[in-house]
Amino acid sequence: MTMTVSANSASGGNLQDFLRRNRSIVIGTALLVLLLIVGGLAVTGFLSVRNLRSILLLAAFLGLASIGQTLVSLLGGLDLSIPFLIGGANILLPKLLNLGLPPAVAMLIILVLGFLVGCINGWLSFRLQGQALIVSLGVGFAAVGAAEIFTSIGSSFGGTSFAPVPKWLTNIAAFNGKTFGIPIPPVVVIWAAITVFIVWAMRSTWFGRGIYALGGSRTAASRLGISEFRTWVLVHGMSGAMSALTGILLLGFSGGGFVGVGDPYLFSTVAAVVIGGTSLLGGSGGYGSTVLGALVLTVLTSLLVGLGLGFAGQQAVIGFLIVPMVAVYARMPHIRNQI
Amino acid sequence: MFERLLRQRRTLGYLTVPAALFVVLVVLAMIRSPNLFTSEGLGGAIVVAAPLVLCTLALTPIVMSGRGSVDLSVGPLMGFINVTIVAWLTAGGFTHPLVIFAWAMGMGALYQLCQALVILYVRVAPIIVSLSGFLFLSGLNLLIMPRAGGLAPDWMMSWGAGRTIFAPVTFIVLAALALWFVFWRSALHTNLRLTGADERMAYTAGVPTAAVRIAAHMLGGVFVGLAAVCYTALVASGDPTQGGTFTLQAVTALVLGGASLAGGRGGAIGSVLGALNMFLIANLLATFNFGTLSGSATKLAFGLILVFSLLVNVLAARRAAN
Repeated sequence: MTMTVSANSASGGNLQDFLRRNRSIVIGTALLVLLLIVGGLAVTGFLSVRNLRSILLLAAFLGLASIGQTLVSLLGGLDLSIPFLIGGANILLPKLLNLGLPPAVAMLIILVLGFLVGCINGWLSFRLQGQALIVSLGVGFAAVGAAEIFTSIGSSFGGTSFAPVPKWLTNIAAFNGKTFGIPIPPVVVIWAAITVFIVWAMRSTWFGRGIYALGGSRTAASRLGISEFRTWVLVHGMSGAMSALTGILLLGFSGGGFVGVGDPYLFSTVAAVVIGGTSLLGGSGGYGSTVLGALVLTVLTSLLVGLGLGFAGQQAVIGFLIVPMVAVYARMPHIRNQI
Repeated sequence: MFERLLRQRRTLGYLTVPAALFVVLVVLAMIRSPNLFTSEGLGGAIVVAAPLVLCTLALTPIVMSGRGSVDLSVGPLMGFINVTIVAWLTAGGFTHPLVIFAWAMGMGALYQLCQALVILYVRVAPIIVSLSGFLFLSGLNLLIMPRAGGLAPDWMMSWGAGRTIFAPVTFIVLAALALWFVFWRSALHTNLRLTGADERMAYTAGVPTAAVRIAAHMLGGVFVGLAAVCYTALVASGDPTQGGTFTLQAVTALVLGGASLAGGRGGAIGSVLGALNMFLIANLLATFNFGTLSGSATKLAFGLILVFSLLVNVLAARRAAN
């Protein structure tokens, strides 16, 4: 593995070679720029600071929720528990605050719980290879059901919960949030920092390279001494923790706990991964691509809103555009060329 | 014939767990809600369970064709046919049963034909194509009919009551199973299993894999059409919002029925059992009184049953392999 990396970087000066290796990044960036230009021409105020800020904020939530989906996809799986864990975290936090826990402790508990549920999901789906999709769905249902039952102890509603949200959490995730006085919501900065860390870790750590190796060929990776089981469980655990984090931040955004807040993320995280250019079969792509995918998806949605389309229209247009967008760089070879 | 049956017998091993679960659930249902087993109760149960059974049946040939092609768009496709029957055909005065059935099965098959062609010739992974279709149709359904409403054709109104087993919906389900039997006896079924198990090998061996894939999708489309007719009869109106729920339930029922999402393995009996198990689980949970918690408790129990039965399924398969 070290050999291929050094061989690649040796020939990296060649522009053509760079374009070939980073095709999805180049095309994703071009698509993003194109959408921004079209938006700027077609919708007044599209490129205003206000609109760009709201795009970044919404993209940050989608991007954070998509971290787990990207890593799981790189291993060749899909995690359908993400929306349920987001919803669960979103109602669990106000409940814990109401119980008198300090906000920081409550959030830590939820992050750890998210990580543990993710690990259980990973452990079960590792044993049930091939049915991982449905296992993650089942684990998600069980987790959100448990969270609802816990939050409804002492209140009459299971799906919603309210508590005074700490001011600083609201500041982190609200439209008018400020980072050290600069008018950018801190969640965007947090997202950027996590992105830099993940892109670095995927490229330069044993763990990150191991994920690619496993996605490429499990047999080869296990010959290299990479534990398939450990990587699979840890990646699912990280996916759970990131879903919990998204749920916590969404509470700061909305102000009240609602279990259905995660529902849109079931398919939009998959869409962000796919539009970015990460293969759902594993082994190729990366979080950098997904960041572009999340931005493209959010800018496209904002453009459609600006053009006056309602929720239904947006969904129809985005659904219609996914195949051509993916077809630009992720076509499979014909069966006769796969023999 | 006899040899073929023997061969099939060996491949029926994956049915053990769904069948055992079914027996357990039936016994529990007999204890908890005995009125389910009167003619009236069974009639009602068939009407409620039919859309899910047919949706699961629709997924079966598509999943069997391999490449991880579980079709996420079945739910919204059923919703599309449902809202167009109500908002376009019935509102426009085209209520003859022949027109409705032709429209439902024709639209189902046509949509799946398009999907198969995109998978084959644009060559994007099937799950991405069906995700795209899921979003497109979900949006389109809401554009056609912003909220649930409208009326089903008059002759369909009495179908949803389901007072007896010998009701029209029962015959639709039986017709669908008969269609599956014809397909099962044909060479197409063998070719589909070959394609799903190893597409490259099937292609090299001269199986027309492209035609097989198209046929599998169109067969699924016909089943979706029938599911939509049963669903329209059940709710007696149009509902654009239930697509996502049906997709998740149908995929779950499929896996509970022992089919492999990787392709090559699966069948009508397993899928029907899986869908019936889903129905019985929901029915059973409804007999317990959880008060305000019923929704949450159902989710929790449903998730646990799902994971548990999958675990048993795989452990049983592993033991059989040893």
